[in-house]
Amino acid sequence: MQKVVSPEHLFFEAPREQVFITGSEAVREAVRRANVDMAISYPITPQSESMHLVGDIFKEGYIREYFRGENEFAVMSAVAGASMGGVRVFTATGGPGTLRAFELFSTWSGARLPIVCAFMTRGVNSPLTIQPDTIEMSYLLDTGMIMLHAENAQDLYDYLLKAFPIAEQTEVHIPVGVFADGFFVTHTRENVKVAPVDIKLPPYNAYSAPVPVMDMENVPFRQMRDPFVMKSNYVSYAAHASWQQEVMAAAERARPSISSYLGGLLEVENADADILIITSGTAVSIAREAVAQAKQEGLNVGLVKIKCIRPFPTEEIRALTKNAKAVIVPEFNRVGWLAKEIKSIIPDNDKVVGAPRVFGGMTMPTQSILAEIRRCQA
Amino acid sequence: MTTKVNIRMSGLGGQGVVTAAHILGAAATRDGLISIVNPFFGAEKRLAPAESYVRISDEPIYERGEVLFPNIIMIFHPHVITMGKCYTMPFFDGLQPGGIMLINSDEILPLSEEEKSKLAALQARIFYVPATKVALEVAGTELSTNVAMLGGLMAVSPNLVTTSAISDSIAERFGGGKFVASATTAALDDVVKSKFGKLEQLVEKNMEIVDRGRQAVHEFLISRAASA
Amino acid sequence: MTKNILKMSPAFADIIPAEYRELVDNGPYGRDVGVAELGTFKELLEEHPLCAGCGLALALRIFLASLPAPEDTIVVGSTGCSSLVFPQAAVQNIHSLFGNQNSVASGLKRALKLRFPDKDKDVIVVAGDGATADIGLDMVMHSWFRRENITTIMLDNEAYANTGGQESGMSQQGTVLYMAPKGKNFPKISMPELAREAGCVYVAVGTPAQPRKLEKMLKRAIILARHVGPTYVQIMTPCPTNYKFKNNETVNRLKGLEKDGVFKPREYITAEAQEALNRLEEVSK
Repeated sequence: MQKVVSPEHLFFEAPREQVFITGSEAVREAVRRANVDMAISYPITPQSESMHLVGDIFKEGYIREYFRGENEFAVMSAVAGASMGGVRVFTATGGPGTLRAFELFSTWSGARLPIVCAFMTRGVNSPLTIQPDTIEMSYLLDTGMIMLHAENAQDLYDYLLKAFPIAEQTEVHIPVGVFADGFFVTHTRENVKVAPVDIKLPPYNAYSAPVPVMDMENVPFRQMRDPFVMKSNYVSYAAHASWQQEVMAAAERARPSISSYLGGLLEVENADADILIITSGTAVSIAREAVAQAKQEGLNVGLVKIKCIRPFPTEEIRALTKNAKAVIVPEFNRVGWLAKEIKSIIPDNDKVVGAPRVFGGMTMPTQSILAEIRRCQA
Repeated sequence: MTTKVNIRMSGLGGQGVVTAAHILGAAATRDGLISIVNPFFGAEKRLAPAESYVRISDEPIYERGEVLFPNIIMIFHPHVITMGKCYTMPFFDGLQPGGIMLINSDEILPLSEEEKSKLAALQARIFYVPATKVALEVAGTELSTNVAMLGGLMAVSPNLVTTSAISDSIAERFGGGKFVASATTAALDDVVKSKFGKLEQLVEKNMEIVDRGRQAVHEFLISRAASA
Repeated sequence: MTKNILKMSPAFADIIPAEYRELVDNGPYGRDVGVAELGTFKELLEEHPLCAGCGLALALRIFLASLPAPEDTIVVGSTGCSSLVFPQAAVQNIHSLFGNQNSVASGLKRALKLRFPDKDKDVIVVAGDGATADIGLDMVMHSWFRRENITTIMLDNEAYANTGGQESGMSQQGTVLYMAPKGKNFPKISMPELAREAGCVYVAVGTPAQPRKLEKMLKRAIILARHVGPTYVQIMTPCPTNYKFKNNETVNRLKGLEKDGVFKPREYITAEAQEALNRLEEVSK
């Protein structure tokens, strides 16, 4: 059976074996080593395969409980119930499933539940599409959850495993969404380095929660003398407002652990270049090819990969973009939420180019980023 | 090999384009190369157009998704060409100069004059392989068409991957629980496995299909056809 | 929960609120007290914010007194009047969202089974008719289909009362309420029969006008849910505010509805549950 090791050992010290797997399989390998108590599934393309595979490791005995719920709203609710009951829980969804379940994500944060959820991003209706698109991330920006965006299957494996100890710190204790672009990551097979199968994370300690665990093993006496739900008075307003601020503060307190586990909230290549590409997810991979081709043309371009969308690396981006002449933000969605985020935090934001934007399912052509680079250079 | 090779496999659902891509990518990885493999992004439906993409290089590859500019196009079914069951129009859209096309068909397929002249301008090379016929003759099932196509690929691009890596990847793909297939593919896997019995027998038979596919390839000369 | 958890530090005893001290000294935890003993022990509910004469208030008081193991009971609620008392009740309570109560309870029950494999932790859903029969119906029924070991209790006031008195699926046909200005045009949903068909091993329809009978139904439902399967209790709880009757008339109204055949108490039990019940009632004799 598996031996419990420290997160640091699992992430940084244990030897790693290279395997040729898909993103969905990377989810299985992360969950296999995450000491997960319970996983709840519901099918939606392009996520389904990952939760099939989590079901397989439940059968093999790596997870203690697993079932298929009846819809995403129900699944996210059941996950909340399990988390309130003091177990480590995992689920995954994407696109329309995310929107179907939406009411729960703010609830998870508000209830201080350290749920880890993988989002395999997909376009949302209408018209019907099953193709990759990161628009759901735009909707989730203000739910209070921590948001990590994986570039490839390796990131997906790493971020999922690391999400548990980040989420479960008492001073944080809020959900972590790990986002991977549907199909581009989930269905793509590539080399991934994984830790040995016989080690796993330490178990979740239910009483690390900053709120009471719903197990009747702690004092149940009435929580409020005058419940602020439905009340209209100063105390109820203040209680709700401070609670919301505390959820935001919890995400802020996650910065040090995200930074140490992920090696920073972002990663930079050639920071001094006049032209910077800043992006996240699969668009980073496409941008890497574009940067390499630009170099062959004699163009000097830098690349910033944002790994953590919430909390946002505001100060880091301000510093990085200070001397850049142009900032190109390629995105796999129509609204350009990442470009908006960046524009909102830097003073001379007319240098931010929110392009190319690819949506509807097409693969982003490297040439479309190159075209923006050439335009900025001219 | 020092340059990146982009391969697009176009066929119909159930013909094993995704499995062929997995085997090829895994073989390249075995040979110490880097590979990224992904299927077309769609719901899996038998006999609907299906595509998969393999990128192979000796340097890191970051690009993923559809291969827009293939060096090699493998056509698993004549309907890709004759009935337009294809995600790109024409079926050779994006083919790079000097590119290769490998078509599974027992007979030469009709190409329009415009298509011929475009292909001639690209200096493309076209090869035919009766992959389904080979699969039926050797294995008694059309489901092995993909393996025969891999044999054909090894004939037209002999330095891409080694025979032993293909053999090992076939063993791994059908042999154990290590590979994961989507639900529909898993169901077809069971059919393939039931055709063969033991793993050694399965690998041996599949390698025979690879060899027969390799030998059955013949080139179709566009220049002669264009002038005829 | 062991009673040790409740103990007060002597140093703080003088500043602990009186109702807490009373619960420690004379609460129902680990004691065999019920509806018959009401008035002799400290009840779990401390005041309540519901309307005067509310049928829910009476039903909830009986419900809390009927719990076979209040020290190991977690109540999962839903939005609506039914949820308003629980922040003031001395059992743990989850109020998640509107309609998702049976999903939350499913996850919670399974989690507690994992963490306390040798202990019965009673997970009980208490929600209104809108939450149970309308917005949450699919999740309620799927928890039954999955045979979750939870008890579902509907407090049926035949309306959305908390939002001001709108028609619900449990309102009687013809009733004029908000959103049914011409009168409701379909019959009251047959939830007990749906529950029976969906896999509940025990189904009961009761009234707080008969407290001892209701207590028996609730105890049966909670105990059978532990090991036999899902159970459902539907409690008729008229709403004086939205149905506009005098708030000292609630119990009389309940009796009248039953007499007129509008309200029909009933009980369904599977053979397996009956057998388990016989065994349990034999042991307790």
